Amino acid sequence: MSLEKARNRYIPMSETMFYILLSLREARHGYAIMQHVKDLTDGRVVLGAGTVYSSLGKLEGDGLIETVSEEDRRKIYMITSVGSAILREEAARIAELYKNSGGLL
Amino acid sequence: MKDKRIVLFPAFRKVVPADLENWLEHMAVEGWHIDRVRQWNSLWMTFKKGEPRKYRFVCDMQFAARKDYRATYEQFGWQYLGRMASMYVWRMEYQGQRPEAFTDRDSVVDRNRRTILAVSVSFTLFLMMIIFYAVQIICFPDSLSAGDRTQVIAVEALFSVFVILLGIVMLYIWKNRRR
Repeated sequence: MSLEKARNRYIPMSETMFYILLSLREARHGYAIMQHVKDLTDGRVVLGAGTVYSSLGKLEGDGLIETVSEEDRRKIYMITSVGSAILREEAARIAELYKNSGGLL
Repeated sequence: MKDKRIVLFPAFRKVVPADLENWLEHMAVEGWHIDRVRQWNSLWMTFKKGEPRKYRFVCDMQFAARKDYRATYEQFGWQYLGRMASMYVWRMEYQGQRPEAFTDRDSVVDRNRRTILAVSVSFTLFLMMIIFYAVQIICFPDSLSAGDRTQVIAVEALFSVFVILLGIVMLYIWKNRRR
């Protein structure tokens, strides 16, 4: 998928998608993604099996992540260059939100 | 005391996946268990009496599950019970917080959308048969004897009922797509 199309589909993105992409800057399988996100958010975001599986399917289908290896039926995924570009753009958008909501808290 | 219980048409009575899951969970709490799910279980399910247990069930429609589908669920601690057509059935025993397989709104809605898609296949099939026979009656009325015509009209009526029921089912799941 081209960057332009990916942008239209993924920005703004759900918290689930954001954290999955963020986790896949290192090669991980589904369960490891869940554990990583759980650690990052102090247990607030606990992704379920169905959500992880279907999100990975979407992201791989759209070329934001790719399978890098397989070990006993478990696929190991990693972010692609398109995925990285989208993740950075989303991070910039969130940084702007953070900046503009500073006075509220 | 009876130690078996047969329930007819479970998947047709509980068309919203969340309702089917809750019902299976309720049965397990009362000690009625189904340990294997097979193709025909949408038509009838046989439950065996056992100890009451707290299970969370998940019904997940998947038409072309990837290689890592089962491994992903199993790694998260789900037990695979089997599938009826394309509906995979999982369960996990729990205490305290109820485990979830779909943890954000998008994936819950997607799951329900896949269920609607499955229903729409039968819907389309029956609709096409209705159209096919209607064309035959209207365009080639002489090709059928009076007896045949009565039969075809009876079939048309029956299929129309199916199509209306399936349409209602799809609308009902769509209205409940967020759970």
